[in-house]
Amino acid sequence: MAGKIAVKFYGLLRRQVRTPAVEIEAAEMRILELLLAAQKKTGQNFLSDLLDREQGLLAGTMILVNGENIRLKQNLETRVRGGDTVDLFSPAGGG
Amino acid sequence: MNGWMGKIAKIDLGSLKQETISISAETRRRFLGGRGLGVKLYSDLCPAQTDPFAPENALIFMTGPLTGTVMTSGRTQVVSRSPLTGTICDSSSGGSFGAVLKSAGLDGLVIQGRADHPVYLYVHDGEVEVRDATSLWGLNTQQAQKAVQEKTSAKTSVACIGPAGENRIPFAAIMNDKDRAAGRGGMGAVMGAKNLKAVAASGGQAVAIADSEGYKAMSSRIDRVVDKNPVTGKSLQVLGTSVLVNIINAHGMFPTENFRRGVFNDAEGTSGEKIAETLLQRQSACYKCPIGCGRTTRTKNKAGEGPEYETVWAFGAQLGVSDLTAITEANYACNELGLDTITMGSTIGCAMELCEAGAWNGGLRWGDAGKLLALVQDTACRRGMGAELALGSKRLAEKFGRPELAMQVKGMEIPAYDPRGAQGMALSYATSNRGGCHMRAYMIMPEILGHPVFLDRFATAGKAEIVALFQDISALVDSTVLCRFLQFAMGISTFSEMLRVVTGLDFSDDELMKIGRRIYTLERLFNIRAGFGRKDDTLPPRFFREEFQTGSSRHRVVKLEEMLDDYYSVRGWDQDGVPLPATLAELDL
Repeated sequence: MAGKIAVKFYGLLRRQVRTPAVEIEAAEMRILELLLAAQKKTGQNFLSDLLDREQGLLAGTMILVNGENIRLKQNLETRVRGGDTVDLFSPAGGG
Repeated sequence: MNGWMGKIAKIDLGSLKQETISISAETRRRFLGGRGLGVKLYSDLCPAQTDPFAPENALIFMTGPLTGTVMTSGRTQVVSRSPLTGTICDSSSGGSFGAVLKSAGLDGLVIQGRADHPVYLYVHDGEVEVRDATSLWGLNTQQAQKAVQEKTSAKTSVACIGPAGENRIPFAAIMNDKDRAAGRGGMGAVMGAKNLKAVAASGGQAVAIADSEGYKAMSSRIDRVVDKNPVTGKSLQVLGTSVLVNIINAHGMFPTENFRRGVFNDAEGTSGEKIAETLLQRQSACYKCPIGCGRTTRTKNKAGEGPEYETVWAFGAQLGVSDLTAITEANYACNELGLDTITMGSTIGCAMELCEAGAWNGGLRWGDAGKLLALVQDTACRRGMGAELALGSKRLAEKFGRPELAMQVKGMEIPAYDPRGAQGMALSYATSNRGGCHMRAYMIMPEILGHPVFLDRFATAGKAEIVALFQDISALVDSTVLCRFLQFAMGISTFSEMLRVVTGLDFSDDELMKIGRRIYTLERLFNIRAGFGRKDDTLPPRFFREEFQTGSSRHRVVKLEEMLDDYYSVRGWDQDGVPLPATLAELDL
């Protein structure tokens, strides 16, 4: 059954897409598909801040599904479902 | 001599005797400068039982071989025995004071004794002048810096204490170049105990560079590397360090209400994104820094510097406070009074939990933003409740019979990363030579931020080796002396190249790592002599027993024992945490 996946933007990404979050309606999809859908919905090309040319994760990119980094799951093949929350952070640092 | 100025001055404020400490080429090569050479000098001068407030205690301002040369090289390391922890301590500050001290002709300044009246030191042309500071005593750090500049020159760089240092608050900071702080460990209180209000420096001596053509080429290349890096060239510039608020909160490890929860519901309202939208006037940068992570801000009442990530947390989530103006103005007050924001905020959080638990009838409640400013001011002056808060969280919680409510290691308050969310960070806190500090081994880099590689934050296997490695690199960078943020953009070989171009000395990567290890081990040896050992390499019991029920770090506890034996083994220490003779021999200690 389809549901809403919340995609939240933080840091520099938020400035770029000019919205804190969008919702994507889907039953289940891969993260990469979700990102493409979110990019289409915002009308902003933010994927280049997260992925390299071969569509791999850039070093320092953080994509969390319900708080868990997809690097600890199946990376961009990680599947998300309606009701999930996805947090997107481009590379950042501090101390 | 290239890189170093070749002179470290030593002054006794009691006898006014001055001398020059000569450092052999071999010792420079083994400890470089900054933290490393400062700890070496301190260990040679002061027994481990030295009372931090006794006249014989040494307070050491140190620069490094790269100070005043490459980017981010204005920093200073201040070394002494901490009145907060009793450990060896070095505290690092940005700004330009280090570069100016070197331009005044000194690599470092060792201060012992106690003046019989308030004084300040004026360093120029390689000389140290003792001047009366009676009229400066009682001024806040902003007023004092301005007053010293009026008495010397507008170009003078001033490192000074405020009322907190004068009153020997054990977490008093030394402030320089307006709002830059040697914040942690109470170096400002050591300064106050010496009746020393300020150290000022001005000069025009240039640092000799061994390979000036190589220096130019290297500088251009490093400029490009730092500019192209998404962290140093973008994120830190635009959003400052507080970009971490949402990141750490999303990982369920943003310590909330004295580390009882890992998710702060109002995090968004105190985030770097929110600061940029509301309070930020402009970014600010230290000497020769292209990053500019500093935040010059304005509330409806006042203007100033900050808050940085740690301070946003210390006066925010740690206290259940979401009022960004209150957080920022508490930060301004700490800058003016000369207080470490992390210990100040964490101690108030400890007090709030003591009050809630009925252990202290202090009337503090979570979220009480309206009391923050007065609490900070009263602490600096030891008034009312502030007299209790001035103890720091460990002594405060012990006094009220609930020592477990102080979120500290070796007496220093743990900063803004809950160790249940990152096992390597937990080991780093526990084994830190200066107590609960994130800067000894910033394991958040690999465990959360994915630099230089991404590590599973909940895994314990292999973490001991990486924590030791990060501790050694940190000791090395602190001894060069450059900003740690460069590590987001460059590896050890770049530091080796910078040292070669500036000093003319070739250091292999292995030799540099050995220098870091030597420094870390020397600090450990001091702490062992001061009575610290395995029993102190631990965390508050909360982190072993209490699990979060919400957030992505829920149902986790710290598994320290799984890592500690490995850590000692990696370090070449015995199972009590004492460096083995073979380790000391290998490190020439």
